[in-house]
Amino acid sequence: MGKTILIVEQSELVRKGLIKVIGSFNLFAGIHELACNANIESSVIRLEPDILVINPMLLEPGLTEWLRDKRNGRMKIAAIVYTLFDDELYSLFDEVIQIGDTRLKINNKLKYLINKQVEPKKHVPDETLSKREKDVLKLLAKGLSNKEISEQLFISPHTVITHRKNITRKLNIKSVAGLIVYAIINEIISVEDM
Amino acid sequence: MAELIINGQMRLSQIIDRDKRALVLFARFGIDLGIGDKTVAGICRQKGIDLQFFLLMVNTFLNPDYFPDKQLKSVDTDMLIGYLVESHNYYLEERIPYLQLLIAKFKKNVDHPATAQLEKFFDQYIVEVKDHLAYEDETAFPYIAMISAYKKRADMPAGQIDYSVGVFEERHDNIQEKLSDLKNLLVKYFPPANDRYIRIRLLNELIDFEDDLINHARIEDKVLIPVVKQLEEQLKLI
Repeated sequence: MGKTILIVEQSELVRKGLIKVIGSFNLFAGIHELACNANIESSVIRLEPDILVINPMLLEPGLTEWLRDKRNGRMKIAAIVYTLFDDELYSLFDEVIQIGDTRLKINNKLKYLINKQVEPKKHVPDETLSKREKDVLKLLAKGLSNKEISEQLFISPHTVITHRKNITRKLNIKSVAGLIVYAIINEIISVEDM
Repeated sequence: MAELIINGQMRLSQIIDRDKRALVLFARFGIDLGIGDKTVAGICRQKGIDLQFFLLMVNTFLNPDYFPDKQLKSVDTDMLIGYLVESHNYYLEERIPYLQLLIAKFKKNVDHPATAQLEKFFDQYIVEVKDHLAYEDETAFPYIAMISAYKKRADMPAGQIDYSVGVFEERHDNIQEKLSDLKNLLVKYFPPANDRYIRIRLLNELIDFEDDLINHARIEDKVLIPVVKQLEEQLKLI
């Protein structure tokens, strides 16, 4: 059965370019496209693509979770990237296509994805905090507000809230007081810092 | 195990065999143990407890899916408040001091800088619980007792009352969330330190308290609030 690929990219220039390049490889029986992230879930369910290529800028927390689940199934996910991203985000992807990649390189990456064995589904949730989340936790434990944390770390308050949500989700600890205890246990802060 | 609806013909000992949480419930109604094969109906008659009310409380508490629709009309709010206040006293005088004792013991056994913070966490939590309960005891329940008295005298309040059960409903936040944090810290994150059994005892108590609070909140949300809303409608307060 022929392979299918779904490309989710907001820039028409990049999207159409990618479709043209990939189309010339004769690797896929179907090449589908989306220009925004509104219908990704329904499209993936309907088309059951073998590979999803998506711009990480279009990811939202709920969608990332959903895709992480899908990836553990049959579908592989590649990023199409032309700006810098947090390293943490790349853990979602099986492969990264860069804007500067040559035809050959893109071809090799897609062949690699088609042949890549799907890893067995992992049920263990990832509980380790990223470096950034630890930074946020540290300041939070010192009693700083979201706004103060955002100023100290040069990130937007919205990003602080996202980090906090992820910390709570990973650790399953909701209260700040509980997070402080966690931070001391794991030596993210010391009692003297308080 | 299929959920069982408790009825008046059942023996108290049978109920306790099925669900140990019935122990604290019976105690709240002033029922002591050592009662042989007495049935629910028998003990209620002897103690002057309203049987229908007793069954409503026990079934709502023990069974999350039990929905007391028909019985709500006949619920006596004074009995209900009496029961809720008794539960609050049990939390304040029994459960919390015992948990404090276990945490102090845990702190003594475990040589780790985070134990002091754990104790502080729990102390802060107690303050929150006390505030939560005091608000109910001092503001919400007196209001309910007052309008219930109007209803019993077939009287109407003369002026405007600056409170309603809707205010209570809105403020009724959950106080078991922090217990779940504490539980997770002990299950997942506190490094083992010669504390196996004290930790288990502490966890058992935390889990029981959490469950107790969830069931207690369900009685307030599913029984108290609808009953008082009915009362407010009858008195044309809203």
